[in-house]
Amino acid sequence: MTMTQSEIYQELKKCVKCGACMAVCPIYRQTGREEMVARGKLNLIEIIHNNRELPEAWIEAVDHCLLCCSCEENCSKEVKITEVIAAARIHQTEIKGLNKVKKGAFALLKNRIFSIAKFVKLGSLVQWILWRRLPRHSGLVRRLPLPGIDENMVVPILPRRNLDDILKKRKINPQLPSLLFFPGCATRYLHPQMGLDLIFVLEQLGFNAIVPTEFNCCGMVTWGAGDAATNTQLKEGNLKVFNDNAQVKTVVTGCASCGHALKEYDNLPQECEILDISEFLFRHKEKLEQLVAGRNLTRKITYHDPCHLRKGQGITKEPRWLLKLIAGENFIEMRHPERCCGAGGTFGLTHKELSRKILKEKTDAADATGAEIVTSGCPGCLLQLTEGAVVADSSWQTEHPLSLLAELLRNS
Amino acid sequence: MTELTEILQRQLALKLLKNGFHPEQVVTSAAALSCYGYDATRQQTEPMLALLPENEEQVKTILKIAGEKSLKIFPRGAGSGMSGGSIPTDDGIIISLTRMKQILEIDEENMIATVEPGVITGELQEEVSRCGLFYPPDPASLAFSTIGGNVTENAGGPRAVKYGVTGNFVMGLEAYLVNGEKIKCGNKCIKSVSGYDLTSLLVGSEGTLAIITKILLKLLPAPETVKTSLLAFASMSAAARAVNAMLKHQINPSTIEFLDHHSINAVRSALPFTLPEAADTVLLVEIDGPDALVKAQSEKLSRLFQDEALVLIEAKDENEREQLWLARRKLSPAIANIAPHKINEDIAVPLAAIPEVISRLEKLSQEIDLPIVCFGHAGDGNIHVNVMLDKNDPAQAIRGHKAIDEIFAITLELGGTLSGEHGIGNTKSAYFSKEWTPATIATMKAIKKAFDPGNRLNPGKIFPA
Ligand SMILES: Cc1cc2nc3c(=O)[nH]c(=O)nc-3n(C[C@H](O)[C@H](O)[C@H](O)COP(=O)(O)OP(=O)(O)OC[C@H]3O[C@@H](n4cnc5c(N)ncnc54)[C@H](O)[C@@H]3O)c2cc1C
Ligand code: SF4
Ligand code: SF4
Repeated sequence: MTMTQSEIYQELKKCVKCGACMAVCPIYRQTGREEMVARGKLNLIEIIHNNRELPEAWIEAVDHCLLCCSCEENCSKEVKITEVIAAARIHQTEIKGLNKVKKGAFALLKNRIFSIAKFVKLGSLVQWILWRRLPRHSGLVRRLPLPGIDENMVVPILPRRNLDDILKKRKINPQLPSLLFFPGCATRYLHPQMGLDLIFVLEQLGFNAIVPTEFNCCGMVTWGAGDAATNTQLKEGNLKVFNDNAQVKTVVTGCASCGHALKEYDNLPQECEILDISEFLFRHKEKLEQLVAGRNLTRKITYHDPCHLRKGQGITKEPRWLLKLIAGENFIEMRHPERCCGAGGTFGLTHKELSRKILKEKTDAADATGAEIVTSGCPGCLLQLTEGAVVADSSWQTEHPLSLLAELLRNS
Repeated sequence: MTELTEILQRQLALKLLKNGFHPEQVVTSAAALSCYGYDATRQQTEPMLALLPENEEQVKTILKIAGEKSLKIFPRGAGSGMSGGSIPTDDGIIISLTRMKQILEIDEENMIATVEPGVITGELQEEVSRCGLFYPPDPASLAFSTIGGNVTENAGGPRAVKYGVTGNFVMGLEAYLVNGEKIKCGNKCIKSVSGYDLTSLLVGSEGTLAIITKILLKLLPAPETVKTSLLAFASMSAAARAVNAMLKHQINPSTIEFLDHHSINAVRSALPFTLPEAADTVLLVEIDGPDALVKAQSEKLSRLFQDEALVLIEAKDENEREQLWLARRKLSPAIANIAPHKINEDIAVPLAAIPEVISRLEKLSQEIDLPIVCFGHAGDGNIHVNVMLDKNDPAQAIRGHKAIDEIFAITLELGGTLSGEHGIGNTKSAYFSKEWTPATIATMKAIKKAFDPGNRLNPGKIFPA
């Protein structure tokens, strides 16, 4: 995923400055600023190519990006915009270094001694001091004024036991065909139930999900932040796991961003295929339809397309098939399901105000459907949407489509 | 930027911030400004200052402050122009209208929308369609260009053959003269003949007469059905006869797009259906309206051309419709494979002259030894002429430029015009005096002077230097 100088140059040259990337850019929709859209960013990256001195406007523009790929979806010249922006961030990091918070956070991703697992466990013990449970939603908000954190900011409840812990004593059925399940950090450490749901659904379909504890973070967040070194290290770790399990050809994930990142790895072992869970289920359409056997959820649900699923991987029909299977007529499309929710990795944390404005359009669209559940195939989006519901005082819950499917199958 | 302009820029920025502008609305850094110095013509300039007003009061404030220093003003929409209309040709202030993007009213009883200029055309269409209404103008850039830009370029699209271009839908306008005074023209009345028709004058004025701040747009009831067909013919003249026959037989298509044989060859392999080698010209025809009428007209279309057309495909559903449109949509990327660069012009000619233009362009293509690909709107005579070349080869570049002179000469000789929809801007101004007599140009200049005596509003456009 990291581009060479000449590859970047080639991409820059492809842009014809048509402007088709503008109206769809969430940043532009809010600010109207042209240096913030893909065309402007590419222009800046081109004219300040290779410079050691980076003007403030360059840094601002490169920083103001959700890596949502909305521009790419609309670019007839197929310029690899997000890859160029990520490369520019690497260039910036090389010159200016990484900011302290990100540096600290990324250290947790690659450090095995003080790892993210330990960090979360520690957090799970002390979280109740600073945070309180939300009455209607799953998540926590602050108890006391905290610097940089407003009263609506939702953080996930940190579980005492992560997915690896829970799965330690799991017995697997050696008769069943196996596939690898890449849970991703959010599912693994913050929301292990979602991982269990996925494993359960796969079992129902007759598959064994192997979840190697050696998996790293997929690297998306470090790639997006311009930390090439950590990114490479994480990727190499994951590639080793894929290679060590080379007899298993299929890798599934329930996280849109992880899927997007993994599919972009160079050097995946031959025949190794990365699939979003919705893609995998779609391939086993008949079997799943039999399992569901015409039962439907009775609550109204709607769906938000995760950018990294729709624009990153081109997946739109599979999740909709799944939701219609689960909810039938109770599945209602929202207006502009394709528009970004404003989470964008760490963007929601670093550009709170702008992110909230982008989110507002999304929560308005969700409200207008009258749905009781807003679904999305990405843990990052789900967290952002929950925050949106809190800010807008909306009553809908957020769920991964897969958890709804598991609920339906369990209640049979 | 010179030291002097830098000082001036700082003074202006300070003044605007004092006058209630948010820092986000004032672009001063040279790097950021470079992103306001281009459009789809890929000219690159270095603007001095860009401002993003949020309401008409702020437009007025900018004009007043700029007036004190006699500064030039360059209005800008989405910067998707194909003739350089928004390019700042000199030091001055860019007024970007993209933050003025409210749909102020959709008056369902009168079927009129009132909008700010920064509204994206496609978003307006989507919004009115929710009320069962229809805003027909459909430039290919509708998903990203602004209504303000569409009005000032009088943009058009495939649906022009039945519905007309943007200008046919503008009922009224509010605009600011460069001195900061506001003018109003038009109204919600269908018949309105009180005084000069300033609305029509501002339509297509390319930002040289006034800054438009409010637009009244006529809407129609949304058509019940659209039916799409693709027809292939053995020659351009056969296709042209077909277009004529359709219109004479009171088939009233909303779209008649054509592709010449170079275009067909370029896209053929990307299509999900087969086009025979003998297909020289393809027509993409759409008929819209009430169900029964569309059905009757489509049947008539099939009956009329079942013998002469080499291929006649009717789309049965949305999916098939999309497949037929692929022929048109895949065209731009496909012709890019013919040569690394293209010079494209959007000439328009009277309908009857289409076959003649095409055959003369074919001859020209042989003379200059460069492929010339033509496609466009057969129903209204607007042809996109693409000279394919490698600009890095100096010999080809010279031949390419010669070709443009010739293309315009042929067009004008056949009673055509330099531009059907993209406008003159600064890329075609050198040819302007070939189309119009000195007295005509003098009259236009006198009008320009009445609006803008100091030539401060979007100078360097339309008229030859
Ligand atoms: C891929 C592509 C396809 C296109 N297809 C078509 C097509 O099918 N048909 C067609 O007609 N055009 C087409 N265009 C050209 C272009 O999109 C149109 O000319 C469009 O109307 C420009 O709108 P804009 O908002 O980008 O305006 P800009 O390019 O920013 O400005 C255009 C002109 O309008 C002036 N202006 C803008 N707003 C105002 C205002 N509020 N008050 C006063 N002056 C103003 C500017 O000074 C400039 O002279 C296409 C362009 C591209 C890149
Ligand atoms: S859509 Fe693509 S080609 Fe057009 S301006 Fe944006 S990046 Fe450039
Ligand atoms: S990736 Fe998203 S936020 Fe970034 S430039 Fe493209 S559209 Fe804008």
